[in-house]
Amino acid sequence: MKKLITGVAVVFGLIFPSTFTIAAPPDDTFVVGLPTDTIGLEPAQISSRHTANIMKHIFGQLYSVSETGSIDPNLAESYKISDDGKEYTFTLKEGLTCHDGEALTAEDAAYSFNRVADEDLAFTGNSAGFVYKSIDFKEARADSEREVTIVLGGPNHIALGLIAEVYVHCKDSYEKMSKDEAASNPIGSGPYEFVKWDKGSQIVLKKAANPPIPTNFENVIWRVIPEASTRTAELIAGNVDMITNASPDQVEAIDASSTAKVAKVQGTRRMYVGFHQGPEFAVTPGGAAIQKPEVRRALQYAVNVPAICENLLNAPCTRMTGIVNPNNAHPNLEPYPYDPEIAEYLLDQAGYPRDANGVRFEITLQAGEGRYLNDKNVVLAICQYLDDVGVKTNCEILDWSAVYIPLIKEKKAGPMYFIGSGGATWSPLYDMADLSAPDSGPNYTKWMNEEWFKGWKVINNTNDEYIIRREIDRMLEVFYNEGPWLHLYFQPDFYGVSNRVNWNPRRDEKVDLFNATLK
Amino acid sequence: MNSKKTNNQNIKDFLFALIKNKWALTSIIWLFIIIAIAIFASQLAPFDPNKNNIMERVAPPLTLDKQGNMKYLIGSDALGRDSFSRLIFGAQVSLIVGFSAVLVGGILGTALGVYAGYYGKWIDDIIMRLADIQLAFPFILLAILFLVVLGEGLINLIIVLGIGQWVTYARIARAQTISQKEKEYVEAAKALGVNNFSIMFGSILPNIFAPLIVIASFNVASVILAEAALSFLGLGVPPQIPTWGAMLAESRDHIFAKRWWMPFFPGMAILLTVLAFNIVGDWLRDYLDPRLKEVE
Repeated sequence: MKKLITGVAVVFGLIFPSTFTIAAPPDDTFVVGLPTDTIGLEPAQISSRHTANIMKHIFGQLYSVSETGSIDPNLAESYKISDDGKEYTFTLKEGLTCHDGEALTAEDAAYSFNRVADEDLAFTGNSAGFVYKSIDFKEARADSEREVTIVLGGPNHIALGLIAEVYVHCKDSYEKMSKDEAASNPIGSGPYEFVKWDKGSQIVLKKAANPPIPTNFENVIWRVIPEASTRTAELIAGNVDMITNASPDQVEAIDASSTAKVAKVQGTRRMYVGFHQGPEFAVTPGGAAIQKPEVRRALQYAVNVPAICENLLNAPCTRMTGIVNPNNAHPNLEPYPYDPEIAEYLLDQAGYPRDANGVRFEITLQAGEGRYLNDKNVVLAICQYLDDVGVKTNCEILDWSAVYIPLIKEKKAGPMYFIGSGGATWSPLYDMADLSAPDSGPNYTKWMNEEWFKGWKVINNTNDEYIIRREIDRMLEVFYNEGPWLHLYFQPDFYGVSNRVNWNPRRDEKVDLFNATLK
Repeated sequence: MNSKKTNNQNIKDFLFALIKNKWALTSIIWLFIIIAIAIFASQLAPFDPNKNNIMERVAPPLTLDKQGNMKYLIGSDALGRDSFSRLIFGAQVSLIVGFSAVLVGGILGTALGVYAGYYGKWIDDIIMRLADIQLAFPFILLAILFLVVLGEGLINLIIVLGIGQWVTYARIARAQTISQKEKEYVEAAKALGVNNFSIMFGSILPNIFAPLIVIASFNVASVILAEAALSFLGLGVPPQIPTWGAMLAESRDHIFAKRWWMPFFPGMAILLTVLAFNIVGDWLRDYLDPRLKEVE
């Protein structure tokens, strides 16, 4: 009987873990529930949106991009662009301070930009891999106490928005720290000061003594709550003020509670399955098959994306036609329909008929778990759709932070992998910049298509809007026909928001708590 | 002839005692059913347990198809997989892991325990200190550590759970061996020149088997529970292999949506099977204890 009671207790303990252990937050504290922990707190090595969301509260940027695409002052109050479009000079606000107590000057800003590019430090995050490749960053220099100039390799239409993604940190503190020390001990320049990071549990911030932009709450706590049901339970119990990635299956329960509601927005994150084009996977049968554009095209017809949205994401969707968000997409491209018969026909034509066991070829599809909306189930559904057309797909669901992200960063995930890439509505070029160069950080598929990459020269060498749009559409057609992505959807985002606070989500997944208030 | 008669009498006694204890009888019948389900899973399951159909996800129990025939007896899961088929295949994993891990732990622990008890001195010290070290470490934490290092998979799970059980067998086998090794039959074997290995495993082991069997029956239950817990934590077997623990884990998101059937059926399967092993273990302990027999 004792063992029976223990067994029942274990089962119930596992079903309802730690629901009642944390007290409701005090009035001056905003608590966020996140599905995964951050990999590190190094401002030059950010590779996921939710880490960036934490970092933007600790670090200031020169400018920041609003949801609508306006470029708003942050640490800088004004900017000017040189006639040749290669130099951006920013003037910092007066009286800025670092969290180490030192004055924040142009020298700190220049140091921050140059540190990201330091080859010895070998950063590979969003700034080094995406921003710097896209703008062809050359150097940053301090022109005076408050003026810093960013030098690019050539003119770039979205440089200002991309520069806004680089976090400014403070030279004196960071020069003294090793790379490892800096990864867990951020000395910021933003509205909130780092207090502590209990790995796998929480990151605690308090309002800085001299915040560069106004903010309301005195403290912000980012709690790591991996299980969706536990996040929901914590929200309903009033222990957290906002949760990200609320499970679509729990929307009704949250809305029915008296303590919280779900805020749903159509996100700009592009969810896709990457077809790795690198030689390392071409030696496997499946890896070799997806080197062929005909096979990639055939697989587009095999997956019922609207059904995935409707059933697994609880949100009807229109399938993406490519890399760019709908408002900027190619006007004449139609999403690939779900038609397994066409998929089978095209696979036959591509030289991959079914064998005696009904299998055309075997392939592995890797994915991380917990980062995206219902990601594990979405991936298992995709594997089933591919199985149905004779592509025997081995689904590998991996730990997000410890296993999957390192594979992605090293471009070793594959031969197929599931991921989402943060997007924007303010420019098609921002979305396309994932593939700004063959060696750009987010080109995880190692796609080398010349027809795509030569388009960037055309775009960056003209200011003629008509020529730019024409070239964008040509590139999007190349991507549609031969691209390295299996097109999925733009992720809808579900945030659970406590009734005790006012907070509104953004479409681009950026979480701003600066304007949040207590009701 | 006499020996055959005694064996027949023993079996009769065993069955008579079993029939007298309704709880033990019910439990053994339940376990036989579960074992049969596990063996004939492929024949019994109405659907491929991994075939998903997201258009028919989270169907409630007793869902019929368009022709009015039973389709989802106990409902479908979040991917539209038939929960009944997954429950049936889950029995395979639970029992394979339960019996295999107990076998691994039992053989390893018994061998070491008999060695320690028979030889004593430094061999005993080393084996028992190893046992103490392992006992000082929380088992689930140890299992998580091993599985993170070795990676998930059925074989690794069996090894980890088996290694986790050896201490219990070693301590009991050692204590029993110490009490047996001074007895006349052991002295006689030594005097006849029988080697130590044959004495340990040919003479002593059969005489200490009863308590080990009792421990094993309890152990299967705890291993099934541990497998469920590890699968629940995502550290058991790969997600494609259906297990009761993984089914329970997958149902968490649906508790708030009041889809009671999703945790209920795998939960009941774990509960009833673990309960049955424990009841059988209790009964076996009483049945094999000569002192209790005398009282009766």
